[in-house]
Amino acid sequence: MNFSFSDDQVLLKNSVRALLDEHCKPEHVRAMMDDKTGYGEPLWGEMAKLGWLGLPFPEQYGGAGLGLVELALIHEEMGRAAYPGPFLASVVLGGFPILLGGSAAQKEKWLPAIASGRARLSAALQEDRLDCDPAGITTTAARAGDGWALTGVKRFVPWAHVADALLVPARGPEGLSLFLVDPKGAGAALKPVTGMDLTTRWSELRLDGARVGADALVGGAGGGGAILESTLRRAAVCASAEMLGAARRSLDMAVGYAKVREQFGQLIGTFQAIRHKCAEMLMEVENSHSAVYYAAWALEAGAEDAAIAASICKSYVSESARKVCGEAIQVHGGIGFTWEYDLHLYFKRAKSLEVQFGDAEYHRELIARHVSSAS
Amino acid sequence: MDLNYSPEDVAYRKQVRTWLERNLPFSPPRTLEERKVWHRKLYEGGFLGMGWPKEYGGQGARPMEQAIVADEMAHAAAPAPTNGLGLGIVGPTIVVHGNEWQKKRYLRKILTAEEMWCQLYSEPNSGSDLASLKTSAEDKGDHFMVNGQKIWTSGGKVADWGLLLARTDPKVPKHKGITCFLMSMRQPGVEVRPLKQITGSAEFCEVFMTNARVEKENQIGKLGEGWAIANTTLGYERGGRSLARISGYAAQYHRLVGAAKKLMRNGRPLMESPTVRQRLGKIWADLEVERYNALRVLTQLEKGEHPGAGGSLTKLSYSEFEKRFMEVAQEILGPYGQLTDGAPAELALEIDTAVGEMGTWAYGFLWSRAGTIYAGSSEIQKNVIGERILGLPKESRADRGGAR
Ligand SMILES: Cc1cc2nc3c(=O)[nH]c(=O)nc-3n(C[C@H](O)[C@H](O)[C@H](O)COP(=O)(O)OP(=O)(O)OC[C@H]3O[C@@H](n4cnc5c(N)ncnc54)[C@H](O)[C@@H]3O)c2cc1C
Repeated sequence: MNFSFSDDQVLLKNSVRALLDEHCKPEHVRAMMDDKTGYGEPLWGEMAKLGWLGLPFPEQYGGAGLGLVELALIHEEMGRAAYPGPFLASVVLGGFPILLGGSAAQKEKWLPAIASGRARLSAALQEDRLDCDPAGITTTAARAGDGWALTGVKRFVPWAHVADALLVPARGPEGLSLFLVDPKGAGAALKPVTGMDLTTRWSELRLDGARVGADALVGGAGGGGAILESTLRRAAVCASAEMLGAARRSLDMAVGYAKVREQFGQLIGTFQAIRHKCAEMLMEVENSHSAVYYAAWALEAGAEDAAIAASICKSYVSESARKVCGEAIQVHGGIGFTWEYDLHLYFKRAKSLEVQFGDAEYHRELIARHVSSAS
Repeated sequence: MDLNYSPEDVAYRKQVRTWLERNLPFSPPRTLEERKVWHRKLYEGGFLGMGWPKEYGGQGARPMEQAIVADEMAHAAAPAPTNGLGLGIVGPTIVVHGNEWQKKRYLRKILTAEEMWCQLYSEPNSGSDLASLKTSAEDKGDHFMVNGQKIWTSGGKVADWGLLLARTDPKVPKHKGITCFLMSMRQPGVEVRPLKQITGSAEFCEVFMTNARVEKENQIGKLGEGWAIANTTLGYERGGRSLARISGYAAQYHRLVGAAKKLMRNGRPLMESPTVRQRLGKIWADLEVERYNALRVLTQLEKGEHPGAGGSLTKLSYSEFEKRFMEVAQEILGPYGQLTDGAPAELALEIDTAVGEMGTWAYGFLWSRAGTIYAGSSEIQKNVIGERILGLPKESRADRGGAR
């Protein structure tokens, strides 16, 4: 039993931090907030070169063959830097369904393309019900020729505007199935929506009988549910890692400020109201660390409690990161409320991830189902 | 990172489980004498003083083995050993700070429960600010003479000995004039009065010392160095029981879910209410996070690292969790949660308490208020975290630096 990182993992974390410290400073993040695509190709290329974009894929597909703990480490650093770009979308939401359920041909085609940065993928997981449960999906897939025609509306599709393909779950005669869809293809219409977190991009996707070939089906007709659930769990843990990074950054800034800001002739860090707040924030951050890396390990190791660990992780971190990022603003006073100061980047990032891949309430219901059958 | 237990640990766990199955008493010990019998059996099984050196009756066991034993005992709802303060605080203090004679004289008798111990630290006017304590120990040549009052002394009524902090030099700054002693409770100068706790039981006491006697051989460490010793002692109060504590919570939690399935409100089982499900889901998540934390602490201990101020984070987190957990349990159980007697048998409302006895939710709820007060209150832990982990500036305090 060992709950600490290996030397290689520490090395990876340090190198990710070094690269992001250099190429993903707040100036870069802010520039990307005004950018049409929302992310920078040079940094994307750099990440491809370093092997991050294929991190969890087997080497035969141009990947690094690493696990979820390593992937979570990268996401934590990205949260810390408020990295803007389709990393989670492409590697996790795009990569895992193909890795888990794709045909040999699909893997050959897409995994090396994702790993090299040539292609960007994402997945369209939410619909009007905002229900994360695959059982609630209403988009339909009807057979059309030797392919399929898809109809339905998807909400909040991350980074769809720069995606070469989207994984789209839809309900067909055989049940829930997953399709690779070209968001610019006939019958598909993308409409970007703007959220308060400008470092994350969402679109609405309308499918109006969009045609896809037989080779677009991932995991067989009716085989979408299991792939989707596995992918969602991984995405939930990676998103939690990002929230953890955002929270840790916010805490660092709050503590740093409490050590230099004076009021009433004293450093504000001498006031217990501030110091105790910071102590509570650290407790939340460390608890979140435990939750994220336990779940990452459990999913990677196929531990018995892997599924429930993912829900525990997402429900815990969703709320604790929001709390920590928010309290950091409180510790800063007025300056924390300005656009110029960077705190809001992390606050908003945490907030946007909180509602993706199942919010705390959704995951708590999954936990309740689990304990109800276990007790 | 590998959170699986090693094959050796799995095998050890099995061995402990088998031992417990064979040796668990049929009915829980009620009297002190029955408790001592069970205690002695645990000792003979090699499950007490596990981290202490072998030459004094300990086992020299790894932290993981200690955690496994405590955890298996929690799983089996085994009665706790008696002499908790002797095992948890006094023994480790003697192991680290005592001299050879003291180790030989006292340690084994703690393990066999031949001698019961209490901790004489807190005073009516010195709680969190323990270093302000006023009980005095005056050098009388061949012995020390002790005068003063202690309070909140757990187990004071049954104790043969007490680990005492007393002031030996009133003229130096407050942290420097304190010395640590082992004092006999069985002497005319020591009077013990039980104090009833909010749970209704009288588990802690007031202790009055009037010209009480401490032999010179019973001074622990150097004169005036008691404060440093007391600080390491407080550290022992955390750590090895980490996993067992969580297993105890988990057993209670499953009982709570069981009760929520049986209790009806508005014509349907409580377990079908979305708000109840949300609360239970949150508590299970929090509880598991505490388990992950325990695994992190164990990783550190196994590597021979001391958690240091990190222990404050762990303690703050689990003691505050316990309060939240018991509050939710009360919300769900409603008036049933408040019963101390007469609960309908079919609801199976009894829970395992921390000391391996069956108790009530009411008791558990009341007891949950203690953890954030003793062994450094939550506020004190936050001060420690702020100053020692986050490096925030120290509070300006009236007593800093100067004499008392
Ligand atoms: C069940 C139980 C068993 C115990 N057993 C023993 C025992 O066996 N032996 C023993 O010696 N003692 C024992 N104690 C005593 C325990 O250690 C003290 O209660 C504890 O140290 C707090 O001291 P106090 O009660 O005087 O509260 P106080 O120190 O007066 O605290 C009152 C309030 O003020 C807050 N406060 C105090 N100082 C600060 C500060 N600097 N900053 C912010 N807030 C502050 C506290 O957090 C608390 O909320 C026991 C206590 C309990 C509840």
